[in-house]
Amino acid sequence: MDNIYTPYLMNISDVTDEAPGVRTFRLNFQNEDEGKNFKFQAGQFALYSAFGYGESTFCIASSPTRKDYVECTFRQAGRVTNALSELNAGDTIGFRGPYGNVFPIEEWEGKNLVFVAGGIALPPLRSVIWNCLDLRDKYKNITIVYGAKTVADLVYKNELKEWTARDDVNLVTTVDPGGETPDWTGKVGFVPTVVEETAPDSKDTIAIVCGPPIMIKFTLPVLEKLGFKQDKVYTTLENRMKCGLGKCGRCNIGCTYICKEGPVFTAEEISKMPDEF
Amino acid sequence: MEKTLKKEKLNSLITGLKDKGYKTIAPKKDNNLITLCEIQEADEIHFDHVQTNNSIKEYFLPKTEKILSYTIEKTKVSIEEPEGFAVKSVVFGSRPCDAASLPIMDKVFNWDCTDKFWIERREAITIVTIACDKCDSYCFCTSVCLAPDAKQGSDVLLTKISDDEYLVETETEKGEGLIKELETVFSEPPSGTPDRQVATVEKKFEIDKVKPWLDENFVHKIWAEFSTKCIGCGACTFVCPTCHCFDIVDECTMSKGDRVKNWDGCQFKMFTLHTSGHNPRSTQDQRWRQRIMHKFKYYVEKFDNILCVGCGRCSRVCPADMNISEMLEIISTDEGQPEPVSKE
Ligand SMILES: Cc1cc2nc3c(=O)[nH]c(=O)nc-3n(C[C@H](O)[C@H](O)[C@H](O)COP(=O)(O)OP(=O)(O)OC[C@H]3O[C@@H](n4cnc5c(N)ncnc54)[C@H](O)[C@@H]3O)c2cc1C
Ligand code: SF4
Ligand code: SF4
Ligand code: FES
Repeated sequence: MDNIYTPYLMNISDVTDEAPGVRTFRLNFQNEDEGKNFKFQAGQFALYSAFGYGESTFCIASSPTRKDYVECTFRQAGRVTNALSELNAGDTIGFRGPYGNVFPIEEWEGKNLVFVAGGIALPPLRSVIWNCLDLRDKYKNITIVYGAKTVADLVYKNELKEWTARDDVNLVTTVDPGGETPDWTGKVGFVPTVVEETAPDSKDTIAIVCGPPIMIKFTLPVLEKLGFKQDKVYTTLENRMKCGLGKCGRCNIGCTYICKEGPVFTAEEISKMPDEF
Repeated sequence: MEKTLKKEKLNSLITGLKDKGYKTIAPKKDNNLITLCEIQEADEIHFDHVQTNNSIKEYFLPKTEKILSYTIEKTKVSIEEPEGFAVKSVVFGSRPCDAASLPIMDKVFNWDCTDKFWIERREAITIVTIACDKCDSYCFCTSVCLAPDAKQGSDVLLTKISDDEYLVETETEKGEGLIKELETVFSEPPSGTPDRQVATVEKKFEIDKVKPWLDENFVHKIWAEFSTKCIGCGACTFVCPTCHCFDIVDECTMSKGDRVKNWDGCQFKMFTLHTSGHNPRSTQDQRWRQRIMHKFKYYVEKFDNILCVGCGRCSRVCPADMNISEMLEIISTDEGQPEPVSKE
């Protein structure tokens, strides 16, 4: 019988420093057949292991349309993430996944999309953003509102440039007041305020919001005010996870196991969950 | 299949099991504790007790177990799968409530994907239960749709019919196989109706009233009231046959390591602590609510089973004298309007 806890072995093929303490790994399967059979969809997550230290949960930050690798972006925050950041290109890490549900991007076809991300929460959105950009004709206007504390904290700086240069994407970047540099050309202000100023008409539009709880808390009412119905607003929940498979019993909010039934939820689904976030 | 087992044949039974390659796990007196543990001789088995202090769980979900091993060599890692963890065994003399916990737990360990560590042990281990001929004030199996002679989860059920004789009933093919393997130890069933000596366990609450109350009262002052005494030691979760939560950690030297699954529990503050420091269940009343909700609402909705078999261990062991059946009694008889307290 297969061991559901056994990770794939992956090679780190590329390391990118995104921001202070934030790093992206590009990973390739050591076993080619495993790589060929591997499929995932935007929104899913995995457990990444630094052997000797343990496993950590990150979303898959690359797009399923880019098939020959998987990427993750993580912030150095504790035991496992510190150990991961000691690793270099050529080293081996463990990968267990993909787990969880997905963004229903097929349902969104023919609609406008507005992505709202704060801080380190761009990685979960990056997968779905690239997924939609790689299928660009299926969607109408695409707007991305992305904010971080300071200019240095913005991740995926090269991709932000790329998105700025594209005329089929409207990228709005913002930093918190005081976080700007003299040459900063983006906005200065908190994400909810910037969303209020820049979000497209809610008609025929899907909003996808990821960020720290405080940002989500203040952004959802803004979207509501702009006329977004709760079932047109998507977000992800990040509870503490260990197994990712519905067995270890720690990630639930009420009856909902975030690792199996999430991490992607609509604001409507979240509003029905008990208040235990 | 029905047979009888005379107490004088216990020696042959235990030796027979050994000869057939089974490891035997049975209640044994260890200082003042009655513990389910491996035994070698029939003399070691303890009979005259209500309940063992540990549950049957640890023979399927050990306190700590290796789920993989690895060797690190420079940039390369090789993984070795654990082997030999499912040892052909018989659990002899556990209680019907413990046996009943097993098919309930199968559901979570089989949910969409199979945890082989649980399931392969389930296949390797045969359960020979002894129906309870006595109980104590903590037992409440009859309140959770079970009974002191419940058959769920047992491969063989023994029921005392006289001071030195048990009625032997097989409940599964596996149980029947075991009895056939050791045929000479058992006698033919008694003629006439045997006098089954089964305890009378008082019903403490109406289970049908519990979930409807929980459905309405996630926010209620009862949670804070219930949990004021609780010191969050987690003992209740460890002795519980139906608490399945675990942690996964790495234990490693420079080049070799094991990934290990350890018991964990919802009563610990660290259990749900995010790395950011945020904790969705930061207070003990939230953690107690989770314990009751998980067992009597969430699991029921997901798997159509109550995640409690009424063994009473959690209440016997609690240093703060928390009593789950008393709480369920209060919940099931609470007629008043919900009295929401303000959310934190
Ligand atoms: C679905 C999902 C997606 C996510 N995606 C991302 C992502 O894309 N990028 C990202 O950066 N983050 C992401 N996160 C958050 C990420 O999982 C955590 O930041 C990460 O796991 C931190 O791991 P750590 O081991 O470094 O932290 P630690 O806090 O050191 O360890 C993690 C666990 O160990 C426990 N622990 C810590 N210290 C001790 C101690 N002394 N004794 C006992 N226990 C201890 C903690 O309680 C915690 O349970 C995501 C989380 C989820 C659930
Ligand atoms: S055993 Fe008692 S004190 Fe310890 S966590 Fe359980 S209820 Fe609380
Ligand atoms: S909750 Fe208490 S009574 Fe119920 S199965 Fe667990 S230990 Fe036994
Ligand atoms: S992470 Fe283990 S149950 Fe969800």
